[in-house]
Amino acid sequence: MTIILRLAWRNLWRHTRRTWLTISAIAFSAMLLVFMITLQLGAYDMILDISLRVFTGEMQVQREGYLDKPQMRLSIPQAAALARDLRASTGLEAVGARAQGFALISSGARSYGVPVIGVEPERERLLSTIPHQVKQGRYLASVDAPELVLGATLARNLKIKVGDELTLLGAGRDGSVAATVLPVVGIFETNNPAIDRQVVQLPLATFQETFSMGDSAHLIAISGPGLRQIQDTEARVRAQLPQGRGLVLLDWERLIPGLKQLIQADMVQNWATYITLIIVVTFSIMNTFLMAVLERTREFGVMLALGATPLRIGLLLVIESTLLTLIGLAIGILLGGSIAVYLYFHGFTFPGLKELHAQFGLPGVIHPKLSFVTFTLGPAVIFVFTLLASLYPALRIRTLQPIEAMHRA
Amino acid sequence: MEYTVVCRNLSKVYRQNSIAVQALADINLEISKKDFLCLSGPSGSGKSTLLNLIGGLDLPTSGDVSVDGIALATLDRAALARLRLTRIGFVFQAYNLIPVLSARENVEFVMQLQGISAAERRTRAMDILKEVGLDGLEDRKPGELSGGQQQRVAVARAIVSGPSLVLADEPTANLDSKTAENLMQMLVQMNAEHNVTFVFSTHDKLVMDFSRRLIKLHDGRIVEDVRRG
Amino acid sequence: MQIYVPLLVTLAWRNLWRHVRRTLLILFALALGVWSMVTLAALTRGSMEQQLTSAFANLIGHIQIHLPGYRDDPVIDHRFAEPAGALRDALDAPDILAWAARVRVPAVVSSEQESAGITLVGIDPARERGLSFLANAVKEGRMLMDADDPGIVLGRKLAERLETALGRRVVILSQDSANKIADRGFRVVGIFDSQPEMIETAYVFIGLAQAQRLLRMPGAVSEIGLIAPDRNRLDAPLDRLRAAAPQLDVQPWTQIEPTLKLTESVTDVILMIWYVIVFVAMSFGLVNTLLMAVFERTREFGLFQALGMPPSQILGQVLVESLFLLAVGLALGNLLAFATLAATADGIDLSAFAKGFEMIGVSPMLYPMLKFDDALSANLLVFVLGLAASLYPAWRAARYVPVEAITRT
Repeated sequence: MTIILRLAWRNLWRHTRRTWLTISAIAFSAMLLVFMITLQLGAYDMILDISLRVFTGEMQVQREGYLDKPQMRLSIPQAAALARDLRASTGLEAVGARAQGFALISSGARSYGVPVIGVEPERERLLSTIPHQVKQGRYLASVDAPELVLGATLARNLKIKVGDELTLLGAGRDGSVAATVLPVVGIFETNNPAIDRQVVQLPLATFQETFSMGDSAHLIAISGPGLRQIQDTEARVRAQLPQGRGLVLLDWERLIPGLKQLIQADMVQNWATYITLIIVVTFSIMNTFLMAVLERTREFGVMLALGATPLRIGLLLVIESTLLTLIGLAIGILLGGSIAVYLYFHGFTFPGLKELHAQFGLPGVIHPKLSFVTFTLGPAVIFVFTLLASLYPALRIRTLQPIEAMHRA
Repeated sequence: MEYTVVCRNLSKVYRQNSIAVQALADINLEISKKDFLCLSGPSGSGKSTLLNLIGGLDLPTSGDVSVDGIALATLDRAALARLRLTRIGFVFQAYNLIPVLSARENVEFVMQLQGISAAERRTRAMDILKEVGLDGLEDRKPGELSGGQQQRVAVARAIVSGPSLVLADEPTANLDSKTAENLMQMLVQMNAEHNVTFVFSTHDKLVMDFSRRLIKLHDGRIVEDVRRG
Repeated sequence: MQIYVPLLVTLAWRNLWRHVRRTLLILFALALGVWSMVTLAALTRGSMEQQLTSAFANLIGHIQIHLPGYRDDPVIDHRFAEPAGALRDALDAPDILAWAARVRVPAVVSSEQESAGITLVGIDPARERGLSFLANAVKEGRMLMDADDPGIVLGRKLAERLETALGRRVVILSQDSANKIADRGFRVVGIFDSQPEMIETAYVFIGLAQAQRLLRMPGAVSEIGLIAPDRNRLDAPLDRLRAAAPQLDVQPWTQIEPTLKLTESVTDVILMIWYVIVFVAMSFGLVNTLLMAVFERTREFGLFQALGMPPSQILGQVLVESLFLLAVGLALGNLLAFATLAATADGIDLSAFAKGFEMIGVSPMLYPMLKFDDALSANLLVFVLGLAASLYPAWRAARYVPVEAITRT
């Protein structure tokens, strides 16, 4: 075997320029793919992480049907108690009940109709970034405190500051009028326009009282240790969820289906581009393989005459192109990987990304995802394609006749 | 200017991976118009090298060559090309013809390079092909012609542009004896009718028998220069 | 220096077809590369154009006129008089295709079951034709008849959420000009569908005069939107409108939604980058193929030299070969691209990812749109750079020293 390897290696370098050109083609595409894939997956992770960590949580327990039609009366009875039980039985800390409603909120100068959310403040700190993004004043103190916090843009539009009072006017769970006046104790700023402009948070008990909810709420938000363990977390919660009460556990894919689809659509588009690129490069270099084989027809004729089998020669060719490909891929991974590592520390951005991202509350900088998969997926696909490309000329060896081959000019 | 070719103190040294090979040493030679001579000698004697130097295909290490009174050393690459185009015809041992052109197109090729009009090219090509006995085959590509036929086309192409000098390197090497003899007879006739000087480089006794002047080379030097009747 | 064009052309063309398979392979690579350039350009442009067009139709328009301050705080206080006199004349000028004045304020809509925060838009239906999406959007029931129509038109998604339907009543709550809460019931006369879907839950429409009465703002409007023939040539109308109404805030879409403009320029950059990448991928194959072809024909080139062909013509011959390859490859690639675009002219249905696209406000039907400039630049790039890349192999062909070339076995 080693003699074939040695022969293959030396054959590669008979025409250095040609070999280097081919290696460059492979290295180029490998580098590109490593760069793009690490960036792509890094972007997905970031979008997912931010989207979930801001508010939604990794999963939620809701009444069946609430997701499609979020009506106030579709609530979870004894919600806070259930949340406490789940915390105890699963060992997860980031579990909190929330109630959702709608009200007309007025300062002296203005009124707006906004969603209103009742939360368990200590739990919210573990579930969402909002409590940590209070820019003025403080977050909600306790679950029954008569106070509220709201987003910075909303506060600005209402022309109020910390300490001012706001009137809430809405419909309660049983259809009755829900009305109250509460002081603003804190103003948060997440840089996500949808949240900053619209969200008002009350302590859960205060909400329940105002909106005649009794002890019920609309959902229990749950987050586990991290996205990587999400399957595990889900299994744990599902095991402890009480049956027969019309409750369902929804993961983020159901909660924000658009997100998964967005990622999928982007993935499909990207891969279509990658594959096209790989095919172009493959056909580009297939010619090189083919012509090299044709050129050595006489040489192969001699080998056959000396007793080598077509299989042996074919194997030699495949090994040659494999070596060539591996060198190209190694260089490509090295180059692409270095760029990815550099960007991992410095962040990747281009003019316009900040503004485009701001629309969705994203930071405007992407960090590539460094992992074995992201580094090798693209090159692996290239390898498969080039291997197939090299098989074609190698197969032609089988039909070669020694004398005829040796006489070819 | 009675001499077609003049070589003075011509030497050629080849460098091959730091080994120096003296292919030609101090050659002095004059070739007259309408001469029909061959250079002979064993392999490595330098006959092909001398032919290449005369034809401007290679440059001497020292000494000079002139063709029709023009010193080759004074010419740049483009001018050398022009010289080969107008004054020198070549017939090689093999691979004489452009594979993608037909016999007629091969013959017309040099005339096209000379800028001769299409009509005149055609007439002269057909005439010369007839002269070498190939009319009817003019539209065949080289792949479709036998070895002998290919050499005839090569000769036709070499002559048709009206050169002063035709250099032929082992013209009969790939031919059987009958074909070779036919070829040589044809060349003698061309020499008589077209006022062209012929210089061959050869191993082949047949070619030597047909030549009027025999120059023997050995280890890069002329050892014998004989005229025959 | 004479150039023997017919000779070079004959030699180049015939040489290409000496090795049919090899030529076909490189042609395929070229065609595929060009196909991917043109097709991707059309798809990307189409998607972008669509985003823009639907944004304009979704009430953004090309130019908007407001009272200064409205854009930060879009409330009733920032209203101005219906256009008359100089402003009216400026609006009615021939270089404005359509314009409409609207009332546009935040409000709450309630049915018996639910309420939701929305933007109330008071319109004159006749003026909205040709300007916004409303004209063809009402799928059930009917559009408002005129500015006095007492009915209300809702989006389908909103109607579902509110559990209301045609013929039923809903209540609109908003702040009127005297800072009091105004409320009135409206009968649902029409239900509209829109792309993207979020418009359906964002806006409700009533008659302009009805809105003015409800909100106690007779003869006043919140905004004027308009469309011109060319979205990139708005200087003339802008100047005229600003001169006619110096006290008002007149802004083009590029200022109102800068991210749209950004999308356009980012698209241009992305396409150019893709072009260069594909070209580099193809060029490896092209250069290598030419190099090997030249190497293969060493003796032939030596023969050319021996026969007295000037070196420049030898270089020219190889360039002409490359030119043919490029021309045929480009032609094939363009043909394939046009065929693809013709086949997908009815739009590519990406509704499997519909929810994902919803999130970023894009419709899931993708219509390809080929801009002549995109196709031209792709072709020009490949052709010019391809010829440039072929200079190296061509130069090598002309550089052979004849005697080496001829005696090489």
